[in-house]
Amino acid sequence: MDFVQNFPFISIILSLFSGPLSSVLSGKWAKRVNTAVIVVIGFLSAATLGFVISTGQAYVYTMGHFPAPWGNEIRVGVLEAAMALFFCVIMFLSMLGGIREREEQIEESKQNLYYVMVDLLLCSLLALVYTNDLFTAYVFVEINTISACGLIMIRQNGRTIEAATRYMIMSLLGSGLLLLGICFLYDLTGHLLMSNIKEQVGILAATGSYHIPLVVALGLMSVGLAIKSALYPFHAWLPDAYGYSTLSSAAILSSLVSKGYIFLLIKIFYRVIGFEIVKESKVIHVLFVFGIIGMIMGSVSAIKEDDIRRMIAFSSVAQIGYIYMGFGLGTAEGVIASIYHVVSHSATKSLLFVAASGLTDASGKSPRYRDLTGAAYRNRLAGVAFTVGSLSMVGMPIFSGFISKLLFARAAIGHHYKMLPTLIALAISVVLNAVYFMKTVIRIYTPVPADMEIAAGRTVPAGEQPAKSAALVCFIVLNLLLGLSSEPIINLIRSGLEMFG
Amino acid sequence: MDELLLLPILLPMIGGAILLMSSFWENLREAGTVGKAGKAAAADKNNETRPKMRAVHAATMTTLSVSAAAALILAWTGERSLTLFTLLQDIPVFFRVDAVSRLFVTVVSVIWLAAGIYAFVYMRHEGREKRFFGFYLLLYGVLVALDFAGNLVTFYLCYEFVTLLSFPLVLHSGTREAVMAALKYLFYSMCGAYGGLFGIFFLNRYCDSLSFTPGGTLGAMAAGHQGILLTAVFVMLLGFGAKAGMLPLHAWLPTAHPVAPSPASAVLSAIIVKAGVLAVIRVVFYLVGPEFIRGTWVQYAWMTLALITVFMGSMLAYREKVFKKRLAYSTVSQVSYILFGLSLLNAGGLTGALLHFAGHAVIKCGLFLTAGVFLYKFGYARVDQLTGMGKKMPVTMWCYTIFSLGLIGIPPTIGFVSKWHLAEGALQSGKIFGALSGLQGAAQSADIGAFSWIGPAVLLVSALLTAGYLLPIVLKGFFPGEEAHGMDLKREEPSFCMLMPLVVLAALTLLLGIFSEPLICYAEAIAGQVLP
Repeated sequence: MDFVQNFPFISIILSLFSGPLSSVLSGKWAKRVNTAVIVVIGFLSAATLGFVISTGQAYVYTMGHFPAPWGNEIRVGVLEAAMALFFCVIMFLSMLGGIREREEQIEESKQNLYYVMVDLLLCSLLALVYTNDLFTAYVFVEINTISACGLIMIRQNGRTIEAATRYMIMSLLGSGLLLLGICFLYDLTGHLLMSNIKEQVGILAATGSYHIPLVVALGLMSVGLAIKSALYPFHAWLPDAYGYSTLSSAAILSSLVSKGYIFLLIKIFYRVIGFEIVKESKVIHVLFVFGIIGMIMGSVSAIKEDDIRRMIAFSSVAQIGYIYMGFGLGTAEGVIASIYHVVSHSATKSLLFVAASGLTDASGKSPRYRDLTGAAYRNRLAGVAFTVGSLSMVGMPIFSGFISKLLFARAAIGHHYKMLPTLIALAISVVLNAVYFMKTVIRIYTPVPADMEIAAGRTVPAGEQPAKSAALVCFIVLNLLLGLSSEPIINLIRSGLEMFG
Repeated sequence: MDELLLLPILLPMIGGAILLMSSFWENLREAGTVGKAGKAAAADKNNETRPKMRAVHAATMTTLSVSAAAALILAWTGERSLTLFTLLQDIPVFFRVDAVSRLFVTVVSVIWLAAGIYAFVYMRHEGREKRFFGFYLLLYGVLVALDFAGNLVTFYLCYEFVTLLSFPLVLHSGTREAVMAALKYLFYSMCGAYGGLFGIFFLNRYCDSLSFTPGGTLGAMAAGHQGILLTAVFVMLLGFGAKAGMLPLHAWLPTAHPVAPSPASAVLSAIIVKAGVLAVIRVVFYLVGPEFIRGTWVQYAWMTLALITVFMGSMLAYREKVFKKRLAYSTVSQVSYILFGLSLLNAGGLTGALLHFAGHAVIKCGLFLTAGVFLYKFGYARVDQLTGMGKKMPVTMWCYTIFSLGLIGIPPTIGFVSKWHLAEGALQSGKIFGALSGLQGAAQSADIGAFSWIGPAVLLVSALLTAGYLLPIVLKGFFPGEEAHGMDLKREEPSFCMLMPLVVLAALTLLLGIFSEPLICYAEAIAGQVLP
């Protein structure tokens, strides 16, 4: 056994223990520890990824060498390692972009608590990505929820407390459904380890026994995770949570937390139930319909919004809709498109949040449209970054969004009855996206008319907040990278999915 | 592989980017000093910076001429192709020069140079010249790339960028009206482009390859999927038709053209709108193949839409009183002549369409530049203000007269030649006329029924309307009659830089009409290639 194989486990433990450690440190030190942990885990994940690619197969790591029913297992393949690496990159950049906001918006005495939450969040994300045990997954889902709540609430104003409460209620509902689903499965199969469950489910499906409970369990888990990742009719918690929390929280919540749950759902589809059985169940049709409605309704809500951050938040609802639509197609191509969209959307959405905050900085912290007039002239880098993000969202070629839309369309073509709805929904949603993103881009590039006074509008040079500027530049590069060299990433996802089976 | 192809694409883009950067820096420095005194200082600065502007003009002109020369030389000397990189599995970004590219890139370059020279003077009163010329150069690069594009995805990429980069030209003045018009343009174009994208998804699956091949690449995969493919092609026609101002999505044209600065409206009307035409040519003749559409509901729907647009555009232009808006409606009508020619799917129609493409580009560019002269010199935007113009600026008015005759289709202008071929193409497809004329074309193309005579009839009526909305200006201009009393009829020709492009374009209108043989042969050769 190679030493590299320990890395995923070390990553999880490292982030898990840095949390409690940070609780006794000062805010400044907690920040340093947090940054160091993210960077180290990023390197560890990269090494793991390299290892898995070179061996070409996934491996199972038993903790403390206890075999499965008693011990705990994690399983590492290309997709898991790549996701872990990607999550670290996005988290690092999101934290980098939001330094100033955290200092301003979080009380001095609570600074270190924020980093405790982030550490725990990272830990739970890694665990969700790597674990091979359904119950462990559930435990970390809960940890994820609690720390996400903390991230929303730590900026103390009335709005965030309300938002956190909403998030808590919806999220716990989701966890409850997930737990119920897991209980059903445990009841049916007598196992909690993913590979064992899959074996048993295969036998059940072959004999045709317990068909309905099986579908119910799948449905419960899907809907539970859908609520937690804000699929359309369950998205009520999202705009406030993303719109009013501090910048890093919003970026992390939108690009990582919801994506962690989605990744877990993919795992459940492939590693717990088996994709063949999922395909035959009607659950994916439900996800498909919700996804399509979400794509359109999310954009409609975003068009009506007057607050730039809430607008970006609503756009997330639409993008999550894309992802579920990809699952709903029920083909491997669809899932590949969804996973690529997870990556592309994470990179773009956090970019948009950071860029939007750069623009509001230049407009007296006001997120209203009127005050953002000409903001791109006052903060050039943020203006360019926001434009890049918008173009990517709208699906302009050379940015990442275009590739994911192309992949969705390719996956849909040839599907005998879902093809037309998918393509039409894609077309409508893209046009709607164009409406609100281009509206904003134009607004920020419109020169301020002479008779209009922007309250506290001021020029923000790129050097004023070097961290944010650096984060923006990295995000832009990441976006172009995803858009221009999508081929290797798609191959990576494809081989990762094959290893999943 | 021929990396030289990148030269005419990248050179203007780099030049444009540099200009934009420098304009951005200036804005930024000004933003720092904006105050109550800002306006007065700006006016002062305007005078001071004239020599600097001259340098900008010189730089723009050099970049433009070098890239135009490069583009033309590369296009007309041999077959060239270049694969840049692979975007997705089996979808490369790929450029190739073929017969259609040559024609388009030549027209684009001529128009771009003419309108560019004109703009050096005209843009003085619009301000923000650096920004204008920055985008002007960038757009030229993208258009060359669009003409050279060798497969549909590359084409789509450039097509989107044409929309995106022409958008700042529309909102140049930055007034609320201009911004709203530009938004409308963006919205229509994007809707249209996504209609096109929708079709690309299908073609990607059913075509053997997305590379443009004369006659189409629709393979065996398509068998049994005609229904869905025809729908997809129709959506593509509607989508790309939006850019060309075809019926359901034409409304952006009359809104966006009048608010843009005149050189910008000239290139919008002459070139940008034709990007939609090029898209339709590429899709129908180079991917799907004319055989696939011939005789289906798509052909009939397309012809109907094109004819309605021809008629309606002329009608609306006839009623419009604002000069540039009238010209914009006229563009709606005239570009649909081209689309109608294409929709006939026979050699005559395609030849006529290509001729009308070249002719209309030259003529409409000239007309918008004339309208710009009136705006620039006197601030006259309405048609009824133009009385007596022929006395004040005879040369301009004579150019306008030639353009008008060209657009109506009176010999010896290029407009006559192209409309002749269009009508002939339509008649060829008919049973009676085809048999009578005994032309080759009659045998190859299916009977399109009543359209073979409705088409020419509509074209004729529309030509009458064209005369109706263009010629009164000539009459009133040269013969103001009673109204001339008390009018100041001093000679006031515009400066050389503005006049020269007008004269050149007018001369082209005549020369292309008189010596039309090479152009006709070239268009017929293209038609022969794609319609075997």
